[in-house]
Amino acid sequence: MKALDLKLARDLWRMRGQALAIALVLAAATATFVLSVGVHGSLVATRDAYYARSHFADVFATLKRAPRSIVARIADIPGVQRAEGNIIQYATLDFPGREEPIRALINSVDEFGRSRLNAITLRKGILPRPEHASDVVVDENFAKANGLGLGSTVAAQIYGRRQTLVIVGIGMAPNYVYALAPGDLVPDERRFGIFWMGRKALEAATDRREAINTLSLTLDRGASQAEVIRKVDSILAPYGGTGAYGREDHLSNAFLDSELKQLSAMTRIIPPIFLLVSTFLVYIVLGRMIRTEREQIGLIKAFGYSGWAIGWHYLKFALAVALLAIVLGSLAGIWMGQAMTRLYAEYYRFPFLTYRLSPPVFLAAGALAIGAAALGALGGVRSAMALQPAVAMSPPPPPVYRAGTVERLGQLAGFSALGHMIVRHVARWPGRSAITVLGVGLSMGLLFATMQFVDASKAMLDQFFARSQHQDLTVTFTEARNEHAIHALAQIPGVLRVEASRTIPVMLRLGARSKRTAIESADPASQLTARIDGTGQEVALPPAGLMLSRQLADQLRAKIGDPIEVELLGGRRTRSVQQLVRIVDEVVGARAYAGQGTLERIARDAAPADAVLLRIDPQARTRILTRLKDMPVVLGVTERQAALEKFTEVIDSNILTMISFYIAFAAAIAVGVVYNSARILFSERAHELATLRVLGYLNSEVAIVLLGEIALLVVLALPLGCMLGYAMAQLMIAMFSSDLFRLPYAATRASYGFAAVVVLSAALATALLVARRVMKLDMVRVLKARE
Amino acid sequence: MNGKDVALDESLAFRGEGLEKVYQTGETSVRALRGVDLAIPLGEMLVLLGPSGSGKSTLLNIIGGLDRPTSGRLFYRDTELTALDDRELTRFRRAQIGFIFQFYNLIPSLTAEENVRLVTDIANNPMEPRDALELVGLADRCDHYPAQLSGGEQQRVAVARAIAKRPGVLLCDEPTGALDSSTGVRVLETLERAHAELGTTVVIITHNVGIAVMAHRILHFRDGQIARVETNEHPVEPRQISW
Ligand SMILES: Nc1ncnc2c1ncn2[C@@H]1O[C@H](COP(=O)(O)OP(=O)(O)OP(=O)(O)O)[C@@H](O)[C@H]1O
Ligand SMILES: [Mg+2]
Repeated sequence: MKALDLKLARDLWRMRGQALAIALVLAAATATFVLSVGVHGSLVATRDAYYARSHFADVFATLKRAPRSIVARIADIPGVQRAEGNIIQYATLDFPGREEPIRALINSVDEFGRSRLNAITLRKGILPRPEHASDVVVDENFAKANGLGLGSTVAAQIYGRRQTLVIVGIGMAPNYVYALAPGDLVPDERRFGIFWMGRKALEAATDRREAINTLSLTLDRGASQAEVIRKVDSILAPYGGTGAYGREDHLSNAFLDSELKQLSAMTRIIPPIFLLVSTFLVYIVLGRMIRTEREQIGLIKAFGYSGWAIGWHYLKFALAVALLAIVLGSLAGIWMGQAMTRLYAEYYRFPFLTYRLSPPVFLAAGALAIGAAALGALGGVRSAMALQPAVAMSPPPPPVYRAGTVERLGQLAGFSALGHMIVRHVARWPGRSAITVLGVGLSMGLLFATMQFVDASKAMLDQFFARSQHQDLTVTFTEARNEHAIHALAQIPGVLRVEASRTIPVMLRLGARSKRTAIESADPASQLTARIDGTGQEVALPPAGLMLSRQLADQLRAKIGDPIEVELLGGRRTRSVQQLVRIVDEVVGARAYAGQGTLERIARDAAPADAVLLRIDPQARTRILTRLKDMPVVLGVTERQAALEKFTEVIDSNILTMISFYIAFAAAIAVGVVYNSARILFSERAHELATLRVLGYLNSEVAIVLLGEIALLVVLALPLGCMLGYAMAQLMIAMFSSDLFRLPYAATRASYGFAAVVVLSAALATALLVARRVMKLDMVRVLKARE
Repeated sequence: MNGKDVALDESLAFRGEGLEKVYQTGETSVRALRGVDLAIPLGEMLVLLGPSGSGKSTLLNIIGGLDRPTSGRLFYRDTELTALDDRELTRFRRAQIGFIFQFYNLIPSLTAEENVRLVTDIANNPMEPRDALELVGLADRCDHYPAQLSGGEQQRVAVARAIAKRPGVLLCDEPTGALDSSTGVRVLETLERAHAELGTTVVIITHNVGIAVMAHRILHFRDGQIARVETNEHPVEPRQISW
């Protein structure tokens, strides 16, 4: 080995603690990158492959009822590649011993295998056979969650008739990657399943011989989706079409999309912050190392080594650290990526979901890590290259200290000589001190910004469930019902309060933008629902005009006072214009609201209800649920408590898993930054500290000089960390909001406290480590050296 | 010495018996001190002379409580230094020893006066820092930082720092090593003054035979042992020395 390389190896070994700390920080950055990019990439690749393989349709439409012959007319629309018509039907399932409502969405499938679009991927078994009316395929997650296998039978209430279904296959389809029951916000695979039944069998079961109520089509390459949708709508209008829509409005796909958006937002924001911090660290450590090696550098240059050789020598130090970081970070990223992917695989219904290790991700991660290290090294390396041998070999001029402002403050406070040492050192190197403060502040900010996601999710849950929903049950009807149905529900013993609620599907338009959604309304005297805005205030429904959630208003780029065109979907396709009178900052969903009167004017009928909210006596729950199951008008029942639990579970498993990884990384960075800063301080001051020991200062007194400075810097870093954390949190929340959630900024003092405690503990632990070094300080050796 | 029990001699500052120091580095070991017996009377001005590597600094560091001998016993007056733990050794240094090194070892972030205060802050019966600086002729440079002083001036601040606590012993390892003749003489003068006015025991390590003439005794070092003791009946004033 060449002598210079030997020096490199020794330097690495001598500074192994610091090198490792930097490597860890850099590894954290690499890991976040590998993790988020890897998971995102895997999900996108899986989705695309799955969609292509199983012919996920491009355009979808639902309608009341149309003869099957209409499919051919749709297929003839220019630009349509293939069209298929099917029946979908909600059914209630009866599992012995389970009183909670369990529902299925049954889809028809061609029993002669002629279905192409949204093809079922069978895990086990076969597709429904002709002449076997009870054959069904069940989606895998539902089967797993409910312990169903091939040959299991399920008692179902379909279209008011009881029927026993036999499971012949277990599988999944691309239009139900995310399977959401009506009225639900997150999938609940125990209470809601997707079933597929032979076409003839489902036609018979639902009295829809040779009829359909849903359409899927694929488009030719280059065809205009908007054009096709217009033509489809005009054909379906007489049949109660509720408006065709593309993949972007397809429930399952839209949810998947919003998840992917969140992931990629994380990819864009979190790894860069981590990389920035580690760049800083390399900069600090290497710069300092080169300063202390001035004389050596001068000597080596005097021997005839070129500036480039020296520069390369120090750059290699940074690269060695980066290399270690890449290995550690990639391993951690892969491990966590696999864990995340497993979670997604459970949550989403994909036939395959593999964590893909694509070489470009690693190359990019490696390049970023090396880039960060090299960038950090640049300053130090350049100064090493620029050093003139003659200049370098004479010791650096002793730093000139002067009494500054801080100093005067110090005198006011009556500092001892040791106190002066602390304050002057900080004031003498404002740049270095500022960088340390910034580094510690950044790591604390990062920790806080990731921590507050937990608060934000809790606040979201609280606002959505605790503040805005007070009903125990939501009962959805198969179709809009009038007061009689409501009255019937109120008669059930144990039902304490009944409130009608109405939701009508509409298309909102403003200028060139449009959005499919539904307008919700409620009893003006409602006790069971409330709309809560961002500040936690309850917002009343407007007497006239529309109220949109911020999400929806943003999508339409609408502001208050804008005239929104409202087209009723389904039934009469009437149009009217409503003024946007209010925008409400809601945490969940992109929703539209109107008062009952407005809704009646839009729908042009008196307000029937399509759902009711019930408050019940908890003692009577089982009885009420059983009664509701037997009512043919009831499409589904959602229990608020169960939904809350499910929602919490999803947030815990999905968001919080990712966040906890990030929290761990941020904590590692905080430790790395504080440790490195303390070590650098120690090395810079070893000579002075040894001198103090020689003069008769005790170990504990000497340690105070060092720890005092660390403490001072950390204390300065805490408020900065809070401010940086606040800013990063705002940024992350903004980037994290999707169509589904809008996280409120709801950081608790505990999160600030937690971040501060982690930083302080890191500081304390490193202080102890460094204090141990003070104990071991070799006075004699230090005094031999010239400084 | 010579077998006599010196532990009872009240007039001695230091007495050492069979001091050995072995540096173990990996496979090899260096015997820096090979059984040194010594007695340094109170108030003596002693010079250690000897070739490089002969163990002078090692001995000085042990005497000053910076380091410990591998074997042997060392007393300061009636305290056995070799029996003290780290903390007690530090207290001993704090109370009794003033150090001066070749490189001045001033704290760059403290002014001349503050560097002195560093010691007076923790001493029992110190001088005023200004008085100590007065003693070395730097009263007018109190508020200067080390970077604003010449090498000789820095060394005089170091001397002031060493004498400000009125130490029993001043230990100087090549105090003039980095200075030219006339600056070096000024430093030696301040040492001499401390010795004369405070009755301090002074031990000076030097390569410079010329300096040795100011001592009462000269210990000649060779290979970790005292090769020869020379007594100087007529110490010369530093003013008359030059090199
Ligand atoms: N830390 C150490 N590890 C190993 N050997 C050491 C150590 N310190 C000193 N030595 C060795 O001990 C011997 C005595 O060293 P010492 O510093 O006492 O010499 P010195 O007489 O002061 O020399 P100089 O006049 O050059 O300063 C030398 O051979 C030296 O190499
Ligand atoms: Mg020496």
